[in-house]
Amino acid sequence: MQFKRVHDDVRAYEVFARKLRQEPLRQIGSVVAPDDDLAAAYARATYDEERWIELAVVPREAINTLWAPGEEASA
Amino acid sequence: MATANPAFDQLMRNGELIESPNEMTPEYKKELRHTLTVSGDTELISAPAYYLAAQRAPSINAFMTGVAIIQDELAHAHIAYHILEELGEDQEKLIFSRDPKSFRYPYAFDVPLETWTELIVANLFYDQAGFCLLGDIHAECSYGPWKRGLNKVMAEENFHLRNGRTWAKRMAAAGGEARANLQRAVDWMFPLTVEWFGLPDALKMHSTQLDFRLKGKTNDQLRQWWLSLVVPYCEEIGIRVPAHREESDGQVTYVLDYPFPCTFDAELKRWDLNDPCSWDDVMQRWRARGPRNAEMVGALQEEFHKFRQAHPR
Repeated sequence: MQFKRVHDDVRAYEVFARKLRQEPLRQIGSVVAPDDDLAAAYARATYDEERWIELAVVPREAINTLWAPGEEASA
Repeated sequence: MATANPAFDQLMRNGELIESPNEMTPEYKKELRHTLTVSGDTELISAPAYYLAAQRAPSINAFMTGVAIIQDELAHAHIAYHILEELGEDQEKLIFSRDPKSFRYPYAFDVPLETWTELIVANLFYDQAGFCLLGDIHAECSYGPWKRGLNKVMAEENFHLRNGRTWAKRMAAAGGEARANLQRAVDWMFPLTVEWFGLPDALKMHSTQLDFRLKGKTNDQLRQWWLSLVVPYCEEIGIRVPAHREESDGQVTYVLDYPFPCTFDAELKRWDLNDPCSWDDVMQRWRARGPRNAEMVGALQEEFHKFRQAHPR
């Protein structure tokens, strides 16, 4: 999917976080950014509702989905 | 309600979440887009609406709280618009190229919030309305990405409400001019928020949003929920509101003490509680939009177009 921003070339990043050591990392949202640094900055500014003990951004294209609801299995 | 898509019908019947555009019927997608647009537009426009008043904050700390709330609202708008974008909308067009009149936020935001007191009453009433509407969607919504996205929104709306309640209580207790200003703001902002929840159920024949579980409560149920939170609090801090509690057969209802709907003068910020009107009149006022519509949307769009002129694609 192509996203339009003031930067010409952007991509989607999935945002992952967790509050407690006992809980697994989970996807909490996504951001669209031109590079990793700005993706990190956007995630920090947008998903600031909790004191996360872990916060990570991953380029969406780096995720190899095997199957998902509503999607054809690809592997 | 059966559609031509058995897999979709089954998900709906089982109370399951829809996770992908591939699973949607065209009608579902259309209704979801509409609901998300209302939500995104409302969050977005609350930023310039609140900012005018935040600048009148009585201290640096109060101002910081005001802008923190505005920053939250922009992030909430981002969540709704980004989901729309994942559904194929062009976010840039949606925000920067739409006609101001076609923005789908409640009329209340078009009436200028000009003082810190009015911002506090907006936190008390408007954010409470947002809390009820979005809380209902958070609990009931059939679209997974939005339901999860609202986790953040609900946590933050709580903080806005607290700001409204804490300050309103303080102003009411202070008496004198502070209390009189608070009462004046409540007088025009209360009926405006009652109206926010839309047509009464008796006049609204059918809700596709309810069929698709894009919301769970009807307009009247949401309005009652809001009244049940706002009326007792105002009474507790000694502020008058034109509604009261009634109980019969163990059923609690909040009843308005004025004809609903009635006539509003946006320039004077004054209701004529002795002049009932029809819902057609209200719809007409909403469609014409209020004093700040063109200015607020214009301000958001102007900088973008300036930037685009200086940096052509």
